Amino acid sequence: MRFELIDRVIDATDDSLVATRCVTAAEEYLADHFPGFAVLPGVMMLEALAQAGRALVRRLDPAPGASRLVVAEAKNVKYGTMVRPGQTLTVTVKLTGRADAGYAMTGEGTVDGQTAVKGKFVLAPPPPDTFDPAA
Amino acid sequence: MAMTKEEIYEKVQGILVEALGVDDDEVTPEAKIEADLGAESIDYLDILFHFEKEFGLKIDQAELRPEAVLANEEYVNDGKITDAGMAELKKQMPFADFATLEASRSVEDFSDIFTVQVLVNFVAAKLDEQG
Amino acid sequence: MRWIWIDRIVEHDPGQRLVTVKNVSAAEEVLHDHFPAEGDLDPQPLMPNPLIIEGMAQTAGILVGHTGSFKEKVVLAKIKHATFHAAARPGTTLRHTARLLNFGKAGGSTSGTTELIDPHTGQTTPLAEIDLMFSHVDHNMAGLDFPEENFVFTGTLTALFDGLKPLPAGE
Repeated sequence: MRFELIDRVIDATDDSLVATRCVTAAEEYLADHFPGFAVLPGVMMLEALAQAGRALVRRLDPAPGASRLVVAEAKNVKYGTMVRPGQTLTVTVKLTGRADAGYAMTGEGTVDGQTAVKGKFVLAPPPPDTFDPAA
Repeated sequence: MAMTKEEIYEKVQGILVEALGVDDDEVTPEAKIEADLGAESIDYLDILFHFEKEFGLKIDQAELRPEAVLANEEYVNDGKITDAGMAELKKQMPFADFATLEASRSVEDFSDIFTVQVLVNFVAAKLDEQG
Repeated sequence: MRWIWIDRIVEHDPGQRLVTVKNVSAAEEVLHDHFPAEGDLDPQPLMPNPLIIEGMAQTAGILVGHTGSFKEKVVLAKIKHATFHAAARPGTTLRHTARLLNFGKAGGSTSGTTELIDPHTGQTTPLAEIDLMFSHVDHNMAGLDFPEENFVFTGTLTALFDGLKPLPAGE
C-alpha cells in the first residue's frame, strides 16, 4: 500500500485546489477499519486535505522540498458523512494565510455532495530532529 | 452568587468561539448557531460539555434539542409541525422564541431556533433550576 | 499496512486515563512515502501527524469505549485541536496519554498529550497535544444501516487489554 491520499487534481487557482480521492476495497488497511464495514478513516481524510494542500504549495513554490510539509496543527476538523469503498471523496483546500510558521489552510471533503470532512490546518516544514539535531 | 445574563453571554460567546472556530465578532445574540456559525450535531455535544464544565451544570442533550418530539408522528406530519407539536416544543423549550417557527411550521426551520441568545437563555434557566 | 496505531496499553485508570505506546520503525511502509527522495534531497522518513492523531484516537477511543462497557460504537467525530512540536523519526517511540473530560449518552470528549521517546537513551520530549470528540453512533446515521455487532471494538483493539501487565523494571 502507498501513502497517496489524492488521485487527481481537477482544478487549481493561486490560492485553492480541488482534488479527488477514489476509495477502493483494494486498500488492505480498510479490512481493519472496520471489519465487516469498511470506511475511510477520518485521519486519512485529513491527510487527503494535507496532500491537496501540498499540491497547492508545489504550484506556488516548485523548488524541491518546498512541499515537504507536515500537518503542524489541525483545528475544528469535523466529520460528517462516511466514505465507503467505491465512492470518491472530492477535497477542496484554500490558502488562508502564510507566515514563517507555514501555510494556513481550510479544507473540505465531500462525497456525492455531502460533507465528509471540514476543518482548518497548518502545513509547516518538519521540526529538526529532537534527539540528533545534526541529522 | 447568581450570574447576570451579561456574564453568561460572555462565557457562552467564549465557548462558541472555541467550539465552532469562529471569530468573537461573528457571535452576536441573533446569530443562528447552525446557519450562521456552522455548528453541526457533534458541536452541540461539544458546546453542552463546555456548559457543564463552565457553569457546573448537568445537561441532557434532549433538554436543549428534544429530537424525540420531531420524530413523533403526532407532532410532525409530512415535514410540518402540528399544533400539538408546537405546544409540546414550547412546553419542553420555554427558553426559546418560537415566533418564526410558528409561522412556517416547517421542520427544516427548527434549527434556526438555536441562536446565541437562546443558548444564553437555556443556561440561565438551567442555572436557576440547578442552583 | 494494518490499521492499528498503538502497540501496547501501559496504564489504565478506568473512566479517567489511558496510556499507550507505539514504536516508529523503518519497517513501516508509510514512512517510505512520507517523505521519499525528491531531486537531490534524501528521503526524510517521518511518521505522518494524522496517523499520530489516529494513535491518540485509538487510545482515547478505547478509554471512552471502556467507560461505556464497549456497548457503543465509538467513532471519532471531531479533532478539536492537534498541535505538533516535534517529528517522529524511525527508531523512536510514541507515548499517548488520553484523559477523559466528558462522557454521556451521545459520546465523549478527551484531552491528550503525546510524548516522543528515544528508547536508546530514555530521553523524552513533548510531541503533541491532541483534543478529540467521539460520538456514540446510532443504529441509523445519515441513512446508513450499520451491522448490529460492534465492529469498532473487535479483537485487535480489545486484545491490547490482555497485554496490560506492568512492564519489567528498567523499561
